[in-house]
Amino acid sequence: MADFLSQYSIQRWLEMCPQGYLEDTVYGHSPELKEPDIVVDNELLREESIRTTVQLVVGERCALAASSGLVNAAPDFPSKRFLATQTLDEARHVEICTRRLFDLGVKEEDLESTIDDFVNPNLVKFAEVLLEKVSDGDFIAGVVGQNIVLEGMAFSVFEMLEAVSKQGNPKFAETLSGTIADERRHVGFGENRIGSLIREHPERKADVEKMQAEMTYHMLATFSDSFRGNRAAVEETRAIAVAEGAEADTAEWHGTDLASASPEDMEAVLADTVLGEFKTRLNRIGLEYQSPPVPA
Amino acid sequence: MSEFNPHSLDEDEFLEEVHSVDFWFHAVDGYLRDRTYGRIEGASHPDLDDTDRDNLITTLCNYCIGETAALEASSGLISIAPNRHSKIFLATQVVDEARHLEVFLRRLRDLGVEDPESEISVRANPHLVAFKDRLMELVAGHDWDAAVFAQNVVLETMEYTAFRAHMSTADPATAEVLDGVVKDERRHLGFGENDLGRRLMAMPEKRQRLAEIRRELDNLVLATFEEVQDSLGADRSRRVDLGSEYLDAIERLGLT
Amino acid sequence: MPDSDEPGMIANRIEKVRAKREAGSERRHFELDDRGFNEVPKKWRKFYRHWEGDGDTLGPNEIICPVCKVVIRSVKELRPGDRLYCMPCMSRLLVVEADDGTLTTEVVY
Ligand SMILES: [Fe+2]
Ligand SMILES: [Fe+2]
Ligand SMILES: [Fe+2]
Ligand SMILES: [Fe+2]
Ligand SMILES: [Zn+2]
Repeated sequence: MADFLSQYSIQRWLEMCPQGYLEDTVYGHSPELKEPDIVVDNELLREESIRTTVQLVVGERCALAASSGLVNAAPDFPSKRFLATQTLDEARHVEICTRRLFDLGVKEEDLESTIDDFVNPNLVKFAEVLLEKVSDGDFIAGVVGQNIVLEGMAFSVFEMLEAVSKQGNPKFAETLSGTIADERRHVGFGENRIGSLIREHPERKADVEKMQAEMTYHMLATFSDSFRGNRAAVEETRAIAVAEGAEADTAEWHGTDLASASPEDMEAVLADTVLGEFKTRLNRIGLEYQSPPVPA
Repeated sequence: MSEFNPHSLDEDEFLEEVHSVDFWFHAVDGYLRDRTYGRIEGASHPDLDDTDRDNLITTLCNYCIGETAALEASSGLISIAPNRHSKIFLATQVVDEARHLEVFLRRLRDLGVEDPESEISVRANPHLVAFKDRLMELVAGHDWDAAVFAQNVVLETMEYTAFRAHMSTADPATAEVLDGVVKDERRHLGFGENDLGRRLMAMPEKRQRLAEIRRELDNLVLATFEEVQDSLGADRSRRVDLGSEYLDAIERLGLT
Repeated sequence: MPDSDEPGMIANRIEKVRAKREAGSERRHFELDDRGFNEVPKKWRKFYRHWEGDGDTLGPNEIICPVCKVVIRSVKELRPGDRLYCMPCMSRLLVVEADDGTLTTEVVY
């Protein structure tokens, strides 16, 4: 354990992030990039972008609350230190996603009401399950919920959004790629640290697996709402591309071309990817994936 | 006339700028880039004699307790922070404090301490431990005003004075480490005083309770830092007046 | 600073010192140079420097932050009523005239 945790020093983190892949970025992207006009000017697309970004802000706020809340519960200094770097990473994610809302025209004074209006209630429930474990000081459940379930989900969502945005919105794609780089460390920590703890505390398995099933349930419900709601925006984006005579883009992700897939297919490939990730990751740390009841 | 002038920012712009992760990245880059674990790379320094080394170990062990207190309290405060600027600022403080703990632990190892954790518990100053417990109690009770006061004003103003005083007499390696820490502390104590100042301005009735908490904590913290100076062997005539900067802050906040 | 409790009062005082300031003569301007202060992002660095101890003096465009003791610098000669920001400690300051006629600062929280 000591060996793998020693690579998570603050020193190393400073060299990797602020002095590494985030160097010369401003709020996560190259200073000269901005949101494309079409996203800001087309009301339908703007609203859909706000809706998506609000879910990211809420997810990142949950990660910020969870990672900071777990510092105290962590049983050893190296884990506290890792969670300290994760806390700052999450604060940065909250910051850059919030910035994006401002870039999309949300006024500072309307931030909280915009979030309330657009947030998916299933995502809120998802966060509540996790934050309850954190406030109980339950380190094992907290890390599984955060670093495996929440971040396993976020990781795939970010990758998918990055694939979709790469051509049309390089600014957003850049902020996402920095975020993905951070998330890699977070999911890595979750697996590595918790694996040994689960072995030491097999009696915790049932409880943690129950939490995972609950979180998965709310996650799938969130996906289903999101993809059902974004059909118009997806069609609009494609119609505009055709009207402008743009060459047909492709955005291949896990065998699906996101540039032409239907919302149902996008939901399916995302859910399938995330659940696949859960299964392998949970398996590696000695937990068994629990399928939730399928949401209506 | 320069293009960027901090003094011509709007108040909101100023607060947005200084409480951002982006600001923090570029601020610490200035003084941490050429350092590894707080030390200038490649610099080598003479060994200390046994008494100096032992005194320094006691001091560093107690610094580690203060930094652990700050790490656990600042992370615990994020979820009760009243607004997003404070949450984001505190996240930067969490990393700062984890780094302080890391560099002090490193320095202990350099000095030949093989198991810093157990050394810390042996050399712990009971007043400081009591202070830490009280601070964590305030955080656990979701008492934002009192916890920010205890951490960012009481503890950090004292640390700020003590670290700078120590820097002027320390061996070069310890001085390098302290230098980076002091620069971080400037943000922390500034955040605390300004946040509390704003809140007390809006709700002056809070002053009385904070003044009481102050009386309770003063003794613990002053005793700790007096003893730390003793352990550093500073002779009484030359030692800094630890309380004076702290008392200035208390007076500005109207908590006398 | 108990007399600044009410937000209105500080505004009044700012008004007063501003009026006094405007009545004064032309202010000198200063070209700022980088003095090696490395605790804020590059673009803001020349607006701050460290106090160098005995033998150091403050220019007419400089003042010490009461909270963190860093020297804050302005491109203009300072007058009562000027607003300054200390980025290293995130304080907002107001330049005021002390009883002895020298300039000092108050923290405007
Ligand atoms: Fe995140
Ligand atoms: Fe994360
Ligand atoms: Fe610290
Ligand atoms: Fe601090
Ligand atoms: Zn200052």
